[in-house]
Amino acid sequence: MRSLMLVALLACAGTSAGYAPEDSESDVGAKILAMERVWSQAYASKDPKALDRILDVAFVNVDSDGRLQSKAEVLAEVRTSTALQFLTESMVVHMHGNTAIVTGVFLIKGVDHGKAYVQRERFVDTWFYKDGQWVSIAGLVTRIEQ
Amino acid sequence: MRAIGLLLVLLGAMPISAQEPADADTARTMRTLEHAWVEGQARNDNRALDLIFDNALVYIEYGRLVTKGEYLLRVRAIAPSPSQIVMEAMTVRRFGDTVIVVGTYLDKSAGARKALRWRFVDTWVYKKGRWMLVAAAAAPMSK
Repeated sequence: MRSLMLVALLACAGTSAGYAPEDSESDVGAKILAMERVWSQAYASKDPKALDRILDVAFVNVDSDGRLQSKAEVLAEVRTSTALQFLTESMVVHMHGNTAIVTGVFLIKGVDHGKAYVQRERFVDTWFYKDGQWVSIAGLVTRIEQ
Repeated sequence: MRAIGLLLVLLGAMPISAQEPADADTARTMRTLEHAWVEGQARNDNRALDLIFDNALVYIEYGRLVTKGEYLLRVRAIAPSPSQIVMEAMTVRRFGDTVIVVGTYLDKSAGARKALRWRFVDTWVYKKGRWMLVAAAAAPMSK
């Protein structure tokens, strides 16, 4: 049920609607922010299906330990996520033609090996308009120093 | 002055074709620009950095979000010194007029014994006839 909701949200968010030339930057920004929320929700629901559609095949991510991850590795990580709650805060979109940069903060609450944890991380994602839809092509996450 | 001349030539290099991974010319241009950034910072050359930083640049380090203005202000406030940054391997991927550079560098500013290795992701966009850095971020690599 949750995965169905995710797919429905994703469709509304813009992958199917794509990017029409008449879309304003704020429309595009709203769609991209909606996809960012789908992304974070995927971790909490451990369901990579929706995420598979919004990450480009050449997507690369750098996690907070400086590890380089391919798309396949990120999708595998989602399946084994220990996050129970994955919230996004302070997101801002910067448009550069058919490229968008999103910055924001993750608040992650979860349980790992029986131990509860709370993490705050800052992220930057790069989105690119490709073949009629916005896809993420790169991301980096880094811990926020206390 | 020579450095600025070189930068202008590099910045004006025309995109060739939208391929992924990047063609050799684009990859070479991006690597040179990445090195120009490090050298410009070591020389406190705000003029050179201003040429490669987009006005809307977002830069993330130590979990902090830094704007172009804040970054240049900090560079201006620090005395010029030999670069403590050693650039290592880089991978360049091209998506039309957008390039993603992923690589690592060694930061020796805290001393050789405490050198810290970082992995970075930089996004460059070709706009108004130049390659401009629009986003840059780095995460410290776990040992």
